[in-house]
Amino acid sequence: MILNKKNIYTSAASKFISILLLIPVVLSCSKTPIREDSTTVTPPPVNKSYENGIFVVNEGNFNSGNASITFINTKDTTVEQDVFKTHNDRLLGDVAESMLTFNNMGFIIVNNSNTIEVVSLKDFKSIRTMTGFSSPRFMAIFDSSKAYVTNMNLSVSVIDLTTLNIKKSIPTNSWTESMIRFNNYMFVTTIGNMGLPTAQRNARILVIDTKSDQIVDSIKTGKEPICMVMDKKDKIWVLCTGGFDQVEAPTLIRIDPSLRLVDRTFTFSGGVPSRLCINNQKDTLYFLNNGVYQMPVSATVIPTAPLIPSNQHLFYGLGINPTNGNIFVSDAKDYIQNGTVYQYDQSTASLLGTFPAGRIPGSFCFTTASKKK
Amino acid sequence: MTRNTTHTRFVLFLILCFQGCFLFSQSLNDTLHLPQVEVSGNFTLRNDGFKKIRIDSNILVQYLSADLSTILSQHSTVFVKSYGNGSLSTPSFRGTSANHTQVEWNGICINSPMLGQTDLSQIPVSQFESLEILYGAATVARTSGAFGGVINLVSNPDWNNSINVMLAQTLASFNNYTTDACLAIGNQNVQSITKINYSNALNNFPYNNDQTKSTEKLSNAVYVLGGITQEAFFRLSKKDILTARIWYSINNHQIPPITTNTENVHKEEQKDQTIRSMAEWRRSDSNYYFTLRSSMVDQFMRYTLEDNTWNHHSYSWANRFRLVWSGIKKLTIRPGAEYNADWVISDSYNGEKTRSTIGLFAEFNYSVVRWLQLSLVLRQDMIDSKFLPFIPALAIEYKPFKKINLSFSTNLCRNYRYPSLNDLYFEPYGNAELKPETDYAIEAGTVYNFGKKDKGFFLETTLTGYYSKIINQILWKPNSSGLFEPQNISEVHARGVEAGLNLAWNIWRFRFSSSNTWNYCRSTNEKPLFPGDSTMGKQLIYTPVNTFNSTLGVSIIGFYGSYVFSYISERYTSPDNSTYMPGYYLSNIILGKNFQLKKITLSLQLNLNNLFDLDYQSIANRPMPGRNYALMLKFNFRK
Repeated sequence: MILNKKNIYTSAASKFISILLLIPVVLSCSKTPIREDSTTVTPPPVNKSYENGIFVVNEGNFNSGNASITFINTKDTTVEQDVFKTHNDRLLGDVAESMLTFNNMGFIIVNNSNTIEVVSLKDFKSIRTMTGFSSPRFMAIFDSSKAYVTNMNLSVSVIDLTTLNIKKSIPTNSWTESMIRFNNYMFVTTIGNMGLPTAQRNARILVIDTKSDQIVDSIKTGKEPICMVMDKKDKIWVLCTGGFDQVEAPTLIRIDPSLRLVDRTFTFSGGVPSRLCINNQKDTLYFLNNGVYQMPVSATVIPTAPLIPSNQHLFYGLGINPTNGNIFVSDAKDYIQNGTVYQYDQSTASLLGTFPAGRIPGSFCFTTASKKK
Repeated sequence: MTRNTTHTRFVLFLILCFQGCFLFSQSLNDTLHLPQVEVSGNFTLRNDGFKKIRIDSNILVQYLSADLSTILSQHSTVFVKSYGNGSLSTPSFRGTSANHTQVEWNGICINSPMLGQTDLSQIPVSQFESLEILYGAATVARTSGAFGGVINLVSNPDWNNSINVMLAQTLASFNNYTTDACLAIGNQNVQSITKINYSNALNNFPYNNDQTKSTEKLSNAVYVLGGITQEAFFRLSKKDILTARIWYSINNHQIPPITTNTENVHKEEQKDQTIRSMAEWRRSDSNYYFTLRSSMVDQFMRYTLEDNTWNHHSYSWANRFRLVWSGIKKLTIRPGAEYNADWVISDSYNGEKTRSTIGLFAEFNYSVVRWLQLSLVLRQDMIDSKFLPFIPALAIEYKPFKKINLSFSTNLCRNYRYPSLNDLYFEPYGNAELKPETDYAIEAGTVYNFGKKDKGFFLETTLTGYYSKIINQILWKPNSSGLFEPQNISEVHARGVEAGLNLAWNIWRFRFSSSNTWNYCRSTNEKPLFPGDSTMGKQLIYTPVNTFNSTLGVSIIGFYGSYVFSYISERYTSPDNSTYMPGYYLSNIILGKNFQLKKITLSLQLNLNNLFDLDYQSIANRPMPGRNYALMLKFNFRK
């Protein structure tokens, strides 16, 4: 009797253990890799071509690999998210800094992945992943066969556009940022050596002779010259933030590129200005300083009131549509949720449209512009 | 598909084969440990209305070469956010953040005063013998600001020991080698314990990179972890015990790139060097005992990114006096005082920064009648000459039956957390104007147990519900210039349920044990931070709603084995909950055998981790290893 009872217990317990063991075994046999995913079902691509529209470059969070591209179709104002991932079945990378288009190709500079993703504007399929950069920032086309890329890590890369390879690296010993072509020269802003405190960083504009690809001259600027545009009179405007830790007042300076001299300096009374842009007529400057500011190149003072106040938005990226002069400004919110893009009229400053974007929308690329070029 | 089925069958076969020799040894008690209560596995220590559990040496000894993050993620309801093997791992309790968790070493806080948190990957299991975990309001008697909980690493002397030598070598996958050694010598009056650990890992495990669509080896992932602890215990008289401890540890680890950044990998590494020391005098008499303790923690950290380095050096001096007095019938009073000072010299601060804390606290435990116990904890902290608001906690425990071990308890508390030094002084964005964070918490639970842990049938069930409202939570949010700045703006509500089931039973000569924990937690943002903030009411990032751990152990005549199963539900990776990491199940197996040769015990143990070779990531784009192995050979001599 006792033995029987024991057997009953034993068999019941064995069953219990078997079940206990089996549950996890069954559950564990999923072979789907565990990867980050979106809670919203991604709709199929709405665009057959990406040749006409506006790309929003979403930086994504540093060291998270969640950079993305949002495409705004200007014809029907539809928005397509995560274009690169949809068409290439892989992530764009870590911190997409900027994008430009040339010869029906899109070049997306992915800073912390050390790559430039070259895509076809027809179907956004990858043509090539260019490698060999060291924290690339911006790319500028020199002519149909040559382009330049600035790097945070002490060099400017020279690109052969026919092979899509790095042809040469010009050592700069400092973090290079924005570029403008003037005749046979590339003007490149440099922030200085990142390892040094801001006060000791040697901020200037390097002048590269494109024939020899050598640095031939430099022009001293304010601290952190981050953006540069050229106006209709071929004067170069440089926005200097004064340093992320605000070691000096921010300045907007004008440079005569033929004399290689600063011929005008505007000093900001406060704030952290960024994202200097110019319209297609090259007569009006735009920049962010909490709100969106508008300033004719003929102005003698920096405007005191914004054209578009931020109203608690975190304005982060700015772009001027070359076709109609509309202002595109992005709201990065808290940097950790998806941002929004706003479109404003450049004269009335009225809101024309609102578009959802990805994580930290930072810059814009207008495709129609490159076609005209 | 066919491969999957074959694979499953093979694993099933494996399990069934080993079922007979899945053993869980009761004799595995770490010989250095002399617990007052003989326990195996998670054991709930609740007798004053607050929730405390202990993970004992029986479990820890099977993870000798692992780090603290492994233990917590497999054997507790604490969620560990891990960047991978040997990389940053931080704990969080009940939907709070790592800043709300205090890690202690024999009662002294070892959190970095700069970050306000501890990297669990730098704490080897071999340096302590048991683990005490305090939840929510239970922490108020120890410290302020640990809204989530306290994890205390405990080591105690065995006064009956004369000589005990342990030497263990572990060989693990991915060129990971760990050596542990321990020497304990002494008599009834003096005990000395020396512990050494050294790990060296290439950690170059293969993983599937979705970017390159190929299998790659993790690069820039080498780590070296070493440490030595010397402890000395003196029984000065029948009443007095003097304890001195010093723990030196180093950790050099490279920081692997995320999967999208494998092109020209950056040089990124971190070097830590820590000295923790303490001296304690304890006097006990018939109706009182007191402890007087002084400790010094010196933490140095160097972070290197390419050619740039940042050095951070902090010193924490802590002193504490605590008396336990039970002179009045049914009433125990535990008053105490503490004085702590922190100094930090950091490349990220403008000059040396300091902080001093004076704390006064008292616990009152009153047994009203047999079935009702009341506990009141009062604490007043003064930080940098400013009074933190008063911190009270109240608990009630009700035991309805005399002969049945069933109890119900509830507690509530108001707690404050002072900002970390980084929040206050990090250049250029630190905000010296920050206020302390406030937590209002309430908890209720029940515990039932039946039988004895070591013999026959044993059952223990626990169920706890909690609700916590944190206001003025510090959040690094961009200011109007777009620069991150810490602000007291966030409001978080965290609520959930913790359930536990521990079982042990005999079948023939086999001793089975099963330990299970489940945590359900909703921790949500309750305050919009700007117009159009879509994070309202959404679950906090990297906070799973459900976590479940289950361990099944079996032992017989020196053989032991356990099957450890853990489930983590999906974790959102964006505060608007638009992206998430899917949930996953992990299975690990431990098999071992102890060979007893008179005074020598030889142990051979095999750990099989990620049994089903799951291709998973815990944090987005940070690869985790597939199936991997660790083989340990241990020698133990005891006289």
